[in-house]
Amino acid sequence: MTDGLALATRGLQKRYGSRTALVGLDLSVPSGVVYGFLGPNGAGKTTTMRLLTGLIHPDAGTIEVLGRPFGRGDRHRLFEVGALIESPSFYPYLSARENLRSLAAAGAPTARGRIEDLLEMVGLRERARDKVQTYSLGMKQRLGIAAALLSDPRLLLLDEPSNGLDPAGIVAMRETLKRLAASGKTVFVSSHILGEVQQLADVLGIVAAGRLVREGPIEQILAGEGRIRVRVAPSEIAAARAVLDGIVPGTTTLADEDEGWLSMPIAAERAADVNRALANSGIYASGLETGNDLESLFLELTAGDDTANHEGTFFGAAGATAKPGATARPTSPPAPGGGVDQ
Amino acid sequence: MRLFVAGIRKLVRRPATYVTFGLLIGLLALIYIAVGATARQAATSSNGGRQALLLVTFPGAYSLLLSFILGLGGLFAMIYGAAVAGSEWTWGTLKAAVARGESRSRYQLLSFAAIGLMVGIGLVVAFGIGLVVAIVAAGLAGVPTTGLNDAATIGSLPELLARGWLALGEAAALGFAIATLARSQLAGIGVGIAVYFGEQFAAIFLPDVVKYLPFNAANAVVATSGSFGGGGGGGATIVRLDPNTALVVVAAWLIGGLIVTALFTERAEISG
Repeated sequence: MTDGLALATRGLQKRYGSRTALVGLDLSVPSGVVYGFLGPNGAGKTTTMRLLTGLIHPDAGTIEVLGRPFGRGDRHRLFEVGALIESPSFYPYLSARENLRSLAAAGAPTARGRIEDLLEMVGLRERARDKVQTYSLGMKQRLGIAAALLSDPRLLLLDEPSNGLDPAGIVAMRETLKRLAASGKTVFVSSHILGEVQQLADVLGIVAAGRLVREGPIEQILAGEGRIRVRVAPSEIAAARAVLDGIVPGTTTLADEDEGWLSMPIAAERAADVNRALANSGIYASGLETGNDLESLFLELTAGDDTANHEGTFFGAAGATAKPGATARPTSPPAPGGGVDQ
Repeated sequence: MRLFVAGIRKLVRRPATYVTFGLLIGLLALIYIAVGATARQAATSSNGGRQALLLVTFPGAYSLLLSFILGLGGLFAMIYGAAVAGSEWTWGTLKAAVARGESRSRYQLLSFAAIGLMVGIGLVVAFGIGLVVAIVAAGLAGVPTTGLNDAATIGSLPELLARGWLALGEAAALGFAIATLARSQLAGIGVGIAVYFGEQFAAIFLPDVVKYLPFNAANAVVATSGSFGGGGGGGATIVRLDPNTALVVVAAWLIGGLIVTALFTERAEISG
């Protein structure tokens, strides 16, 4: 059913008591790509990761890993899979090196010298003899990534890999994962941080309320998702909204009333038209941004996900959409040259 | 084999290994020195004092020492087993191994095998240290140590130690199983301690049933003439199984504990 796919699920279902976590998840992850698995908190991302690593078992549906069925008796399939699920798991009283050695004794064989290479790669060589209990969250996360790579897996499953990493660590991780994908490995990254996924992933899957709501190459998905944001004086919001609605009727939304940000779905190339229309009406924008908007798409697609709408973590990120600034910019980078600050 | 060796390496590094062993040795030394320092005087005035002197009177002191280690060590072995098994769930290290394609039951059983080896080493070392302490205590009490070289007793020591190893292994296996079922280090230790003392308490009311329960059976595998430390209850009138029947019962508890651990782990949904 899944030629050319590194990972595929069909009709995957999982319930925890009365709560339904997955309701027929159909994922198709091509080989050799970075696949961004996006979803609000509670949408079923971690449940999916647990199912893909055999930690829990589905109530219905099938899983294929690297082109072959993966069920209860197929644990050997995981010899070609590396995973970091939820928080990194280590013996706190052992050093990084000892932890990796200990983990290497389980499951897939690990090549000689691999541990030292990985410690070097994740930048923990200098601290490799220190007990893990003395590590920061970011260091544990890096060690977790090293652990996932122990057996040089063909398929890498990472759950929120940038948790706790500092900006340099995030960049290094991103480059490492891209390099792995370029070498033919498949990297499946679960996250609710849109900016991270947008910068990292080749293919995107968005899950909401336990089902896949959109999947495909990220450029293709975002192609029709151009968006322009305009900042005007709060007293001019109503008038500006009327002008913008005149360009694309009924689509302008108020992103942030306090700051005076309005948002409308329109191709970045029409930023000048928008600016001109406002100026002709005597309204002068103090800020104008363009860009493909993964956040807007994400919010639209996950709007029915009650879990997402009630949980703080994602909403914090979503809130950043409405307040362009330090948090919002990396999430929805304006197209080069497309933005005008006045 | 890789997993077993890794298990040993983890336990050797683990502070709980030394804390548990240190507590056992500390209590053992404390009690023996206290007995050595006071038993001579107490023996002149009470039957208890005369019994206490038996602890440091060789060759009988050999088996009493072992009995003492099994009584107190059984509790510590259970706590140790529970601590190791529980932490695999609490720290998520079992999860990490399973996600690498490791067999769940194999992982658990080999982890226990490592515990079993450590418990065996701990028993032998504790017995050796206990012996030295008992000789010192005998000196303090003014009891001659002429029985120290009793060939028949020394010849029986390997078998007694092997039986003791099985008994401590059983306690560790039960702690391991309880913590696995509880999926928690703390809950495993807590329930393990409750089971231990519950069994001692139940001996007052249900002696014919309790003799088949894990700790009482474990203490019966080493036949002793005295009752010091037996079942951790020390001196209570306990109906005991004969050593060979106790051996079978202890083996059954040990195997049962491991089967429960393996089956539960195979079927468990691992999260967190």
